[in-house]
Amino acid sequence: MFSNGDEIFKISRLTLVWLGGIFTIVWMVCWAIGIGLPMLLTNQLGEQANLANEILRAVTPVIAILVFIPINAMFMVLIERRALALWTVRKGPNRVGPDGNFQTAADAVKLLLKEDITPTGADAVMHTFAPILFFAPSIIGAVPLLAAVTNDHPLFHILNLPTGIFYVLAAGALPVVALVMAGWASNNKYSLVGGLRSAAQAISYEIPLVLSLVTVCLMAGTLDLVKITQQQAGGILNWNLLGGGALIGLNQALGGGGAKALEAAYPMGIASYVCAGLLVCALTISFWLYLTGACAEINRIPFDLPEAESELVSGYNTEYSGMKFAIFFLAEFTNLFVVASITTVMFLGGGDNPIPPYILDKIPGIPQMVAAIRDSFLCQTLHLVNPETLFATLWVIAKVYGLVIFAILIRATLPRFRIDQLMAFGWKRLIPLSLIVFIIVVFAREFVNIHG
Amino acid sequence: MATEIQEIDLKTDEMIINMGPQHPATHGVLRLLLTLDGETVKHVEPVLGHLHRAQEWQGQNRTWFQYQALIDRVDYLSGMFTSWAMARACEQLDGVTVPERAEYLRVIVSEMNRITSHLLWLGTYLIDLGAMFGFPFYPFREREKLFDLLEEIAGQRMMFNYIRIGGVLRDPKPAWFDKLKAFLDEFPDRIDEYEAIVTQNPIFLKRTKGVGILKQSVATDYGVTGPCLRSSGIAMDLRRTRPYSIYPDIKFDVITFDKEGDTWDRYMARILEMRQCVDIIRQCVEKIPTGDIMGKKQMAGMRVKAGEGFAAVESPRGVLGCYVVSGGGEKAVRFRWRNPSFCNLTILPELLKGCPLSDIMAIFGSIDIILPDVDR
Amino acid sequence: MANLISRAFGGLNEVRRGLATVFKHTWREPITKNYPDEMPDITPHFRGRLALTVNPETGDHLCISCRQCERVCPDKCIEITSHKSPETNKLELIDFKIDHGLCMFCGLCTEVCPTLCIINTNDFEMADYSRQSLIYDLKKLTLSQEESAFYFERKEMPLPKPKPAKPAPAAKPAADAAAKPADAAAAKPAAPSAEAKPAEAKAEEKPAEAKAEEKPADTKATEE
Repeated sequence: MFSNGDEIFKISRLTLVWLGGIFTIVWMVCWAIGIGLPMLLTNQLGEQANLANEILRAVTPVIAILVFIPINAMFMVLIERRALALWTVRKGPNRVGPDGNFQTAADAVKLLLKEDITPTGADAVMHTFAPILFFAPSIIGAVPLLAAVTNDHPLFHILNLPTGIFYVLAAGALPVVALVMAGWASNNKYSLVGGLRSAAQAISYEIPLVLSLVTVCLMAGTLDLVKITQQQAGGILNWNLLGGGALIGLNQALGGGGAKALEAAYPMGIASYVCAGLLVCALTISFWLYLTGACAEINRIPFDLPEAESELVSGYNTEYSGMKFAIFFLAEFTNLFVVASITTVMFLGGGDNPIPPYILDKIPGIPQMVAAIRDSFLCQTLHLVNPETLFATLWVIAKVYGLVIFAILIRATLPRFRIDQLMAFGWKRLIPLSLIVFIIVVFAREFVNIHG
Repeated sequence: MATEIQEIDLKTDEMIINMGPQHPATHGVLRLLLTLDGETVKHVEPVLGHLHRAQEWQGQNRTWFQYQALIDRVDYLSGMFTSWAMARACEQLDGVTVPERAEYLRVIVSEMNRITSHLLWLGTYLIDLGAMFGFPFYPFREREKLFDLLEEIAGQRMMFNYIRIGGVLRDPKPAWFDKLKAFLDEFPDRIDEYEAIVTQNPIFLKRTKGVGILKQSVATDYGVTGPCLRSSGIAMDLRRTRPYSIYPDIKFDVITFDKEGDTWDRYMARILEMRQCVDIIRQCVEKIPTGDIMGKKQMAGMRVKAGEGFAAVESPRGVLGCYVVSGGGEKAVRFRWRNPSFCNLTILPELLKGCPLSDIMAIFGSIDIILPDVDR
Repeated sequence: MANLISRAFGGLNEVRRGLATVFKHTWREPITKNYPDEMPDITPHFRGRLALTVNPETGDHLCISCRQCERVCPDKCIEITSHKSPETNKLELIDFKIDHGLCMFCGLCTEVCPTLCIINTNDFEMADYSRQSLIYDLKKLTLSQEESAFYFERKEMPLPKPKPAKPAPAAKPAADAAAKPADAAAAKPAAPSAEAKPAEAKAEEKPAEAKAEEKPADTKATEE
C-alpha cells in the first residue's frame, strides 16, 4: 500500500516545516509590533505612549498581510508542484535546498532579476499598471478575513467590518479590470482574446458565486464575517456546509438537550424536519456552487480559459516578464488562498473544531491542555498565545490548505472547458441552480428555529 | 427581433491570427493562418514546409545501408513503420524472403511502436484540451517502459534502425520476452485507468462529442487513412484489407464505428487500437518460431536489384507507403514516401470551418499528425 | 428535468471517479530518478558515445585502419589518418577523429567494423562548451584495457584473437601472413562466447588483408 512512503513523508515534512515557519514568523512580527512594543512603551513612557500604541496596533494587520502573502504564495507554488509531482508519479523539485524547499525562493529571485520587457506598440502605462491592479484587490480582500480566521483576536479586531463579506466580494471583482487591461495593453492578439475571455467569464460566474454566498448570509442573518464564524461554533453539525444552523437542534439534542431541544428547534413537527433536510441539501449545493464559481473567478483549471496555453499561448500574460509576471503569478496564488479562506469562513465553520465540544470534553487530557495553555506565562503575561485563537488558527490552516490541495487535485485531473460551453454552463446551469437553492432557503428557513 | 438585427448590417472586422510555427499546440512547426470572426474560424490555411529535410533526396544520395539508418526520422514517433515500409519495398525488388521469426519480431516491435505512438498522442491530446499537469504523465510512463524494451533490442529509444532489408537487426533474449509479457499483463489495467479519468469525463465529452465530424465522403476524397478513417465507419486497415507479413495468421478485427466519427470516436478508436495491439503482441509472443532472423547480408555496399517497388504498411497514423526505384547500384534512383500525416492534414480546413477557436486544438489534435512526417 | 438531474449526477460521478483515480497515485512510487545522482539503467546495446577498444587481454589497439567506418558513415564524421609502415608493409594508424557534433549515433560504423574496434559505449554525457571539443581524437577515443574488457563482456562480443606474431612483428611479415589463417582457426573455439555469435568470429578472419584502396563491397563484414 505505502510503496511511496518516502515521498509522502517528504511532502508532509515540507508542509509542516513551511507552515510552521510561515505562521511563527508572521505571528512573531505581529506580536512584536502589536503587543510587545506597546507593552514596552507603556512600561517606559506610561500614558504618553497611547497614541503611538494605537498607531502600532492599527499597522499590525497590514504588516501581517504584507509579510504573509509573498511567503505564502511561495509555499503554495511549492506545495502545488510537489503535490502534482506526487500524483504524476514524479519527484518534483528536489535540487535547491533540503528536499527542494527553496526552489520557489530561487524562482522568485530569478524572476525579479529578469529583464522587464514592454513590447513595441504596447501601452506602457497600462501594461505596468495592470499587474498592480491585479494584485492589490487580493490584499485588500484578505483584510477582513484576518479577523474571522483568528476567531476575532483583539489584535485584528479593528479589521472586522460589519459588511465583511460584501467588502470581500467587491474587492474580488476588481481583478477583471486588470486582466482586460493587461490583454489590451499587450498589443498581442492572443492576449486580447485572453483578456476579453476573462472579462466575460468573471462576470458570468460572479452571479452564482454571490448567490451561493447570499444563501449563507440569509441563514446567518448577517454580513459580518466574525459573526458568521461564531454562529457556526459547536461542531460539524453547526457548519454552514450542513445547513447553517438547521441541524443546531439535532446537535443540542445529541449534546444532552434531549427531545426538548429538538422540539424547540423544529417546532412544526414533520414539516420542520423536512425543511431542515432541504436546508442541508441546499447549503451543500451552495458550497459546491461556490467552489465552482470561485475556480472560474480565479482562473484555475478547468476554467483557465483566459490563459489557455494550448490555444492562446498564455493569454493575458503572454507579453509579461520579470517582476510584472511575478506579480501576476503571486496574485494568482494569493487569490486561491483568499478563496479557500472565504470558503472556510463561510462554509466550514472558520476556526471551529469539527468535533462537537460535548465529545471533545470527554476526551481525557484535552481540557487540561487548554487550561494549561491559558494559565501559562506566555498567555497570561506576554499574550503570546491564546488558546481560542491558537486552536482556531490551526483548524483554519488545516481547512484552507485542505481546500488548496483539493484545487490542485482538480487541476491534475480535469481538462478545460470551451468558452461557449463555459458560458452556457454558467448561465444555463449554475445561475438557475443557485436561484433555486436561494428560493428553497428563503422558504425553508421559516420552518426551522435557526440559532436557537 | 431577430430579423431586425440581421437587417442592420453590423460591420465587424475579421481578425487574422497566425497560429504557429511557434505555438505550444501546433505539435512542431506547423503554421495555421486563421481568419477569425470573433472566436469563430472563417478560414484556415495550413502552411507547410518548415520542417522539410529532403528525406527523399537524401535517399537518392546515400547507400541503401546508410539510408536505412536515416528513415526512422521520417516519422520519429513510429520509426519501426517507416523502416518496415522501406524494407518491404526493397525486399519486393530484391526477391528476398524474410525468415519467419524475423516477420514475427517485426510485428511485435511494430505493434509496440504503435502503442507508444498512440500513448504519446493520448498525452499530448489531453494537453491540447487543457488537462495540462496531471493526466498526460501517465501515458508517458507506460511509453517509457516500452521504449526501455525497444532500446534493449534496437539500441536506441526512438531511432531504432531495427527493421532491415531482409530481416531484423538483433534477436531478443528469452528474458526480453518475459519482460514484454509482464508489461502486457500490466498495460490493460493502465488503459482502464486512463479511461476512468478521461473517457466519460463530462468536460471531455463536451469538448469532443459532435465536434469535428469527419464525413465519409470527405475522408475518401482527401485520402484520409488510419484511425481517422476507421472511426468514420470505413473499415480500411491494410493489415486486413491487403494483408502483409504474418497478419493473416493473427486474429484481430478491424476497429470501426457505425457512424461518421467525431473527435471522441477518433479518441476511442485509438484506445481500442492499443488494447488490440496488446492482443496481437500476445499472439505473436506465443506463436513465434525459432530460426534465423536475417535473410539478406547486411553490409556497407549492399545492392538492391533494379526495378521499381512499392510497399505500404498500416502505421499508427494511416497508410505509410514507400515507392522506390533502383538501378541495381549502391544507391537508389528515386525514393518517394506516401505519408499518412500529410494526407490527413489536408482535411483540416474542411473540419475547422465554422468552429470556435478553442475547437481548433481539439480537432487538430485528434487527427494526430506529426510534422516531420508531413514535411519529410 | 429528471433526465437533466440524472445526467448531472452521472457527470459528477465520472468526475469523482477521475479524481479518485488520480488520487490513488499518491501511493505509487515515482518513476523518475534523481538523474545526476542516480544513473539510469542503460541496456548493453545502447548506442552512445563512440569509442575505440583495445584488446582486453594484451592492450593492443584493435584498429587496423581499414577505413570501413569512415566510408559507411552517413554523416562523414569519421576521419582516419594512417600510413603504410615501411617495415611491415601494413597500415599503421596515426590519428582517428570522430566529430561527435555531427554523429547521429546510428551505429553503422560499429556494424561494419571487422575487428570490433569501434563500438558504441553506454555513455551519453558528452555536453561540452564548444563544437571543437566535440571532435574526439585518437587518445580521447581509445578506451583503457579495463573499459574494453567491460564492454566486450557487456556487449557479448567475442574476444579478439591475440596478435600471432607479437614477439617479433618486424621479423617475418610473410610468415606472419601465412600463419594467420591457422591462428584464427585456433583462436576461434578459444573465444569465450564465440558460439553465441559465430558470424562475428567469421568476420574476423578477413580484416588483416583489408586495404584502404579496396572497394567497400569487397571488404564487407557482417555482424549477425
